[in-house]
Amino acid sequence: MKHLTEDEMIELYYGEGTSAANAHLGACRECSRKYAEFSRSLEEIRSAAVPQRSADYGEHVWQTLRSQLIPYEKRMAGWRGWAGWRAAGMTVAFAMLLAAVFLGGRYWERSTTKKANITDSPQATQRVVLVVLTDHLDRTERLLVQLEHSQSPDSAENDQMQSEARELLASNRLYRVTASNTGDAELAGALDRLEGVLAEIANDPNLTAADLKRVRKDMNTKGILFEIRVLQARSQDQGTKGATI
Amino acid sequence: MQGNDHSVVRAVLAGDKEAYGALVRAHSATVFRVAFRITGNEADAEEIVQEAFLRGYQRLESYERRSAFGTWIYRIAVNCALNRVSRPGIEAEYHHGEDTNPEEKTVQVAARDADPERVLLSREISAAQQTAMQRLTPTEKCAFVLRHLEDRTMSEIAEVLEIAPNAAKQAVFRAVQKLRRELAPLRGNA
Repeated sequence: MKHLTEDEMIELYYGEGTSAANAHLGACRECSRKYAEFSRSLEEIRSAAVPQRSADYGEHVWQTLRSQLIPYEKRMAGWRGWAGWRAAGMTVAFAMLLAAVFLGGRYWERSTTKKANITDSPQATQRVVLVVLTDHLDRTERLLVQLEHSQSPDSAENDQMQSEARELLASNRLYRVTASNTGDAELAGALDRLEGVLAEIANDPNLTAADLKRVRKDMNTKGILFEIRVLQARSQDQGTKGATI
Repeated sequence: MQGNDHSVVRAVLAGDKEAYGALVRAHSATVFRVAFRITGNEADAEEIVQEAFLRGYQRLESYERRSAFGTWIYRIAVNCALNRVSRPGIEAEYHHGEDTNPEEKTVQVAARDADPERVLLSREISAAQQTAMQRLTPTEKCAFVLRHLEDRTMSEIAEVLEIAPNAAKQAVFRAVQKLRRELAPLRGNA
């Protein structure tokens, strides 16, 4: 007769044992005795006393958090900014299209290639997006480099870094959501990780040298700075390709 | 509650920051409980509660309405706690039985009577349990707490810890085996 293993007893204890194990437990006196001892040993660890919270604990947490949260409507202002960029991009593309049609009428045979290039409005829009994204990544890199080299920043430097981080956080969200919506998982993932770091810098009201050290450590561990450089190279590469099409 | 939570999330995303307060009030105690059970430290648990709700707010757009908000924020809190206990040096902060109010801060074995010898033994076992818990890896500790103290299923643990179901099961198995091995000498005295 094959007796129950410790793993099988663990499964039984947590109500996930097989019917065969259950049947064996009922039939085997030795396993039944061992299982009773096993159960007692685990039940001893069961009584964890969690410190009681007062009835208004949730309210207390909320009051602490409240001032750190930026309302979504303010963040939505960023969307309007984004929409503005897109509109500007489309306007430029449309103007270029009109110009191409005009020039095409005059130089039909010679300018076919050029016209095809200019009338490709999604590419024009994409170039605008790439310029904006590259600028965002440049700014983010500068902030992270500054963070990496600041040993014990004074309060003025802290304020400046937090203000910059808040701006970058708002725009980062927009790019992340856009990247996610357009199915660019790699970019969305990288921007999501970046967002975590920016949020830590932006939302801590009392940024201390120890906090910065922790953020720097997280940043180094996750290789976020390296990731940004890869993204920059990628967006620049896409920009170059777009320009030569 | 779930439907209500969803409407609150919609309100927050529409710009009503104050509405988030209702979610914080409703779920703070649960988040605190799991954070405390993982870290074993009251101050750390309180910080984790704030961190979880802050992260939750920042990622609210990614919240999928298929699951309850409580489950979603619970998952964030467990990950915050896991990160916390994974940091080097944090384990040293884990409270031991000699604390001024050990009943509040440690995993205790209830004394069945007021016999001083028994109370002493109970404290000894409690301290040994704390030490044994500290020797688990962060994933083992989280998996064990979720299975043993929070009554989560293996698939829930896998989802919360973002690992394969079999890996979650193995983490629980290893934790139980280690704890039983560590506490074996005390079982003879209990």
